[in-house]
Amino acid sequence: MNLDPYIPIGVILLMAIGFVIANIILSTILGPRREGSIKGIAYESGMDPIGTTRKKFNVRFYIMAMTFLVFDVEIIFLYPWALTYTQLEPGSADSALFLGRILFFIATSVIAYVYAWRKGVFRWD
Amino acid sequence: MSFELTPETVQLITSLAVIFMLVHMILGGCAYLILLERKLSSWMQDRIGPNRVGPKGLLQPIADGLKFMLKEDYNPEGIDRALFFLAPAVITATAMLGFVVIPFAGTLDLSTLPFGLATTLGLDGMTVQIVGAKVNIGLIYLIAVASLGVYGVVLGGWASNSKFSFLGGLRASAQMISYEIPMGLALLAVILLAGTLDPGRMIQGQLDGTWYILQQPLAALLFYICMLAESNRAPFDMAEAESELIGGYHTEYSSMKFALFFLAEYFHMITGAAFFTLLFLGGWSINPLPWGGDLPVQGGLLMVLLQFAVFAGKVVFLVAFAMVLRWTLPRFRFDQLMKLAWEGMIPTALLVVLVTSVFVFLGWTPWMWAGSIGCIILVYILQPLMPKQEDPNRRIPMIGSRFNPVDDGLEVPRHPVALSDAAIPDPSQGPVSMH
Repeated sequence: MNLDPYIPIGVILLMAIGFVIANIILSTILGPRREGSIKGIAYESGMDPIGTTRKKFNVRFYIMAMTFLVFDVEIIFLYPWALTYTQLEPGSADSALFLGRILFFIATSVIAYVYAWRKGVFRWD
Repeated sequence: MSFELTPETVQLITSLAVIFMLVHMILGGCAYLILLERKLSSWMQDRIGPNRVGPKGLLQPIADGLKFMLKEDYNPEGIDRALFFLAPAVITATAMLGFVVIPFAGTLDLSTLPFGLATTLGLDGMTVQIVGAKVNIGLIYLIAVASLGVYGVVLGGWASNSKFSFLGGLRASAQMISYEIPMGLALLAVILLAGTLDPGRMIQGQLDGTWYILQQPLAALLFYICMLAESNRAPFDMAEAESELIGGYHTEYSSMKFALFFLAEYFHMITGAAFFTLLFLGGWSINPLPWGGDLPVQGGLLMVLLQFAVFAGKVVFLVAFAMVLRWTLPRFRFDQLMKLAWEGMIPTALLVVLVTSVFVFLGWTPWMWAGSIGCIILVYILQPLMPKQEDPNRRIPMIGSRFNPVDDGLEVPRHPVALSDAAIPDPSQGPVSMH
């Protein structure tokens, strides 16, 4: 496997990391530094913050993230399929088999999707 | 000392030079896009806009950058120091990775270099591609890198120790992951059409044939909407909804760290617009139709510059269009935003993928646009038949609701504070402490 095309990606990665670190360090050095007792308080529209920030939050975000994972993995499986499928001769038996397989695959996830929809995963009110 | 320049070495040197130039062009472009956005918004709102620094305000980005650098980089109390530092670094560094695989121009024939450079260096007959990294799975790489930005958002929201940041970070990450799915499906529809994951061959296909926006208009629309949502642009800028969340995940950031968040947003916009140009607008192609001529892939220095100019022109047009959208459309509410992604765009995108794969099976690739139009008609027919929720925009009457400050004798659960006299301050007693 030829990894030569990936060398420039490594270079841009190093450039990007150098750029952000240089920027943050430069602004830390160049900027003034003044402390104050009230200055460090988190901004909540001028009020003193009540309670802690690290609280429990809505479980819908977790469910949303899990549904996302299911669909994202499904899409990743579809890319190699699409590449092979377009190489096949249209209308041939191989092509029909590929189409049938992917229709079955999509159908299974559509069932899960409809189930999640009926369960109200996508409702936020 | 003498050495042979192999084609691989020449290509590597060209790639590094291209990356070096493009990074600086895009960073400068980001700064001037901010100025363009401010100017556009002021024109749309009948204002003048920045016009004090330099001629017509053209030096404004430089003044802004200097000011950012010289401001205090403050760390509020209770933050997670490592993550607070890491969030802007991650979001900017990952935003800068994407553009390398996009071919901004075609192939340069090195024997056309001026001053006989080609003969001196022994480059006669060699060609190099004007692209940062010639990766054959470029589209996968692009979509993978584009979705890394969500880490910066989550980290920034979590590390800040502010409720506004936390909510903004949660909302932004939920939004970004939701819109990634229709984006991937729309990309899949194009891959089914082109049959390649190589950005260069994608453009080649559109030079020879039709632009894919004409073949897949619905997929292009879905992709553009997702592109706006991925870069957190209005009308999808839930993360930084000033009216409810102040600045969103970057509320607590100051100085250059704050600037890095902005830089990442504009970098994402440019990369997204270039991605869209590559997929749907034919890269540097100037002729959207299959017949008639087009720019050649290979050429001399001037041809490469012309190709780059065409590509960059399309990118600037798309970015400017996103800006005009920002100042035209109102912001979505969060539940509407999620509803649009999960109940609107994902089923539509699945439908587009299914129709496209059936068309590929039947060998009707040149008539793909008919499938896209059929999808739009089908969505219009099916949409009224879908199960409806009760209207989420219903008005809540004040009388009889739990927000009614007057006790109207109705059995409604009310907040106890609102009903007891002790909770209502007496204004005659002077200013009241707010906590």
